Amino acid sequence: MDLIHPSSKADVVEAVRDANATARRLLVIGGRRHLDKGNPSEVDAELWTTQLDRLVSYEPAEMIAVVEAGMRVGELDRILADGGQEWPSDAPADSTVGGVIASGASTPRRLKVGALRDTVLEAEVVTGDGRLVRSGARTVKNVTGYDLHKLVAGSLGTLAVIVQVALKLRPLPHARRTLRFEGDLELADELVGAVHGSVAVLATPGAVDVRLEGWPEEVEEQTAMARRVQRPVATVDDAPFPIERRWDERPVVAEAAVAPSQLNSAIVGDRWGALAGVGIAWLGLDGGERELDQLRSRVRAVGGIAPIVRGAGGLGDSPVAAPDVHRRLKAAFDPNGVLAPGREWKTSEG
Amino acid sequence: MADVEGARRALEDALGPAEVLSDPLALRLYARDASMVEGGCALVAFPRSRDDIVTCIRVAAEHGLPVVPRGSGTGLVGGSTPIGDALVLVTTKMTRVLEIRPEDRLAWVEPGVPNLDLANAFRPHGFTFAPDPSSQPTSSIGGNVSTNAGGPHCLAYGVTSNHVLALDVVLANGSVARLGSESPETPGYDLRAVMVGSEGTLGVVAAVCVRLTPLPAAVRTMLFDFETVEDCAATVSGIIAAGVVPAAVEMMDRGIVVAAEGFAHAGYPTDAAAILIVEVDGTGAAVQAQAVAVEAAARSNRTRSIRVAVDDDERALIWKGRKNAFGAVATIAPHYHLHDCVVPRTKLVDVLTGVYEIAGRHELVVTNVFHAGDGNLHPLLSFDRSVPGTLERVLRASEEIVRLCVEAGGALSGEHGIGLEKRDFMPLVFSAEDLAAQACVRSAFDPEGRMNPQKVLPDGARCGDFAMTRGSDAALVAADLPEGSWI
Repeated sequence: MDLIHPSSKADVVEAVRDANATARRLLVIGGRRHLDKGNPSEVDAELWTTQLDRLVSYEPAEMIAVVEAGMRVGELDRILADGGQEWPSDAPADSTVGGVIASGASTPRRLKVGALRDTVLEAEVVTGDGRLVRSGARTVKNVTGYDLHKLVAGSLGTLAVIVQVALKLRPLPHARRTLRFEGDLELADELVGAVHGSVAVLATPGAVDVRLEGWPEEVEEQTAMARRVQRPVATVDDAPFPIERRWDERPVVAEAAVAPSQLNSAIVGDRWGALAGVGIAWLGLDGGERELDQLRSRVRAVGGIAPIVRGAGGLGDSPVAAPDVHRRLKAAFDPNGVLAPGREWKTSEG
Repeated sequence: MADVEGARRALEDALGPAEVLSDPLALRLYARDASMVEGGCALVAFPRSRDDIVTCIRVAAEHGLPVVPRGSGTGLVGGSTPIGDALVLVTTKMTRVLEIRPEDRLAWVEPGVPNLDLANAFRPHGFTFAPDPSSQPTSSIGGNVSTNAGGPHCLAYGVTSNHVLALDVVLANGSVARLGSESPETPGYDLRAVMVGSEGTLGVVAAVCVRLTPLPAAVRTMLFDFETVEDCAATVSGIIAAGVVPAAVEMMDRGIVVAAEGFAHAGYPTDAAAILIVEVDGTGAAVQAQAVAVEAAARSNRTRSIRVAVDDDERALIWKGRKNAFGAVATIAPHYHLHDCVVPRTKLVDVLTGVYEIAGRHELVVTNVFHAGDGNLHPLLSFDRSVPGTLERVLRASEEIVRLCVEAGGALSGEHGIGLEKRDFMPLVFSAEDLAAQACVRSAFDPEGRMNPQKVLPDGARCGDFAMTRGSDAALVAADLPEGSWI
């Protein structure tokens, strides 16, 4: 296995063109934190983005940061905190911005902050055939052409190497609080409805954690709203969220996505966390095939998916919509199939 | 060669004669949208279902007609202005709200439903549809999807793309696909995201799954006025610096305030250089905390007065002036031309100063109303096109304004789209390689270039390394744009 460690966009262009010329297959690697998401891919070289880690521009007044894709999330968090802002990825500190975006990782605070892909305002990418291409703009609103940057978000490194992004930011909250309740998914749903503007309502076996963020008096008011539903068993201020990720205690972790009212169908085992009102559940699995097959058939029955995000198991066999469009996109951006062959979702039945 | 007559017969058979128009008046009516670009078309069809749309697209393909999807026709850039022997596919008869599911915070609706009807349908359930373009009583959700529409409240809530979970679309080959899903994640590439904002060039939306946004517990609408535009803009920066992201921050300069006040009688101070409408929402405590910070920012930038809407009626009145500003400018001159460039928030004052200078040099009246929180400008050039030479001055001023915004680091459009009108400005912001990549996206959806041809991308933008599209794209270049149709 060769290693390519470019330190400039031009280096990436050269590396990808070279791979096309010499028929070498590449896997783009950021912080290795989200690498297991995607079907297994046999490659000849790894292309590390971690030297592409410069801050290109950050003006707090714009609430936009432009960074190279290999910047570590922890480093970005520190820079933005100085400006009183954040990019709400909640990803591990050693993951890279590009990796988080390419893997389509979900933030636990999605109920309030939305999908992370919506924060990508502009991207520069090197396509699978070695073209440096930019789309979007460094503005919070923009309808100027086709949004290639939205296409590469969640594309698992199969279309292009993300080399730079402009991110929409949000102000850091003045107060943070997590309330813990004894209860189940039903209570979680009730709390989603009763507590206006909560950032997350995370159900775990036997407990529900409600995350509140905002102005101090707002958090107090939300606390009162939650208390009217049920008395919390614990109140923790200023702690990271989630308090614990017990699903990570198992060798394999799946990330199920279903319509919010179908979360019950997405739960297996005794190590899980489910985001009420959102429809994302993380499930710790022991790695057996039967457990995963069961989960996937239950989730698929309600129109959802359950890709593995840590360990073995790949994406599952859910077919994509408009498979012809998928094939043509892949053929257009990576005509020689040098980027992560086989890693993408299924584009045909059978 | 297009077989218009054959297409007409086939469509009448399938949809019924009442749903197909080909008389000269109809063809003239549907030859344009709310922009001033005039085109022409061969047939107009009104599908009533997804299957009707499939039929229209198949018939158009079989008979060699390009398809131009159209909602309510409020587009401002010629995005649904047809060219040549086009079939205009109008979705205004597809107006059903199919399903509202509060437990999943989603609803399925047909593309012709007016934006405001969505908000009204969701309100009894405690929800709203957040994107609120000023055209919302008229513009359809399908049209909103095609332009990734914004509106004042997108500052806090995000644009249309953030509120569309899934789309049932009919692709150029007549096949139907569900892009996105009711689940928060979908297998494969995010085609939903690419479809939103693609201006009808990738397919026709047959149904939209929208996100329901909970109604805020409390809202406060405030109106500030300033002696200078600079103080007004500095207030916007001050609000952001205080860590507040209001639901909406709208700025209007004196010219537009005078015009809007004459129409809405909202009590706007017509002697101010600029006014600022700020709306904050959330829990009662959140509203209070934000309002304190917003008022402090306005005071430290010398606001002359602070008006707080005391009830829903006053709130509606304050918004009435803002949302009808474009209609109100008819009192200035019979025609207007509008851009919606976006610039970095910190460049607002510089760009605005430049806009005044450009208008002054070309002896044109310019008024400004904009989504200040987003940096989304709307400079309106008012004119009378019957005065010889005026149109030429408007066009020159327009181009200078666009170049000014681009030089400030901006984008061509924040919410109206590119359509025909701004197509040829695309090389100002994108390289040939960038545009080729965008052409690849388009070709992947529509290899034969049937859907809304000649929009968005300038002539010459080709998907370079994607051999399948070569040749078929060349056919597009042959169809000429109508002479002198610009504005």
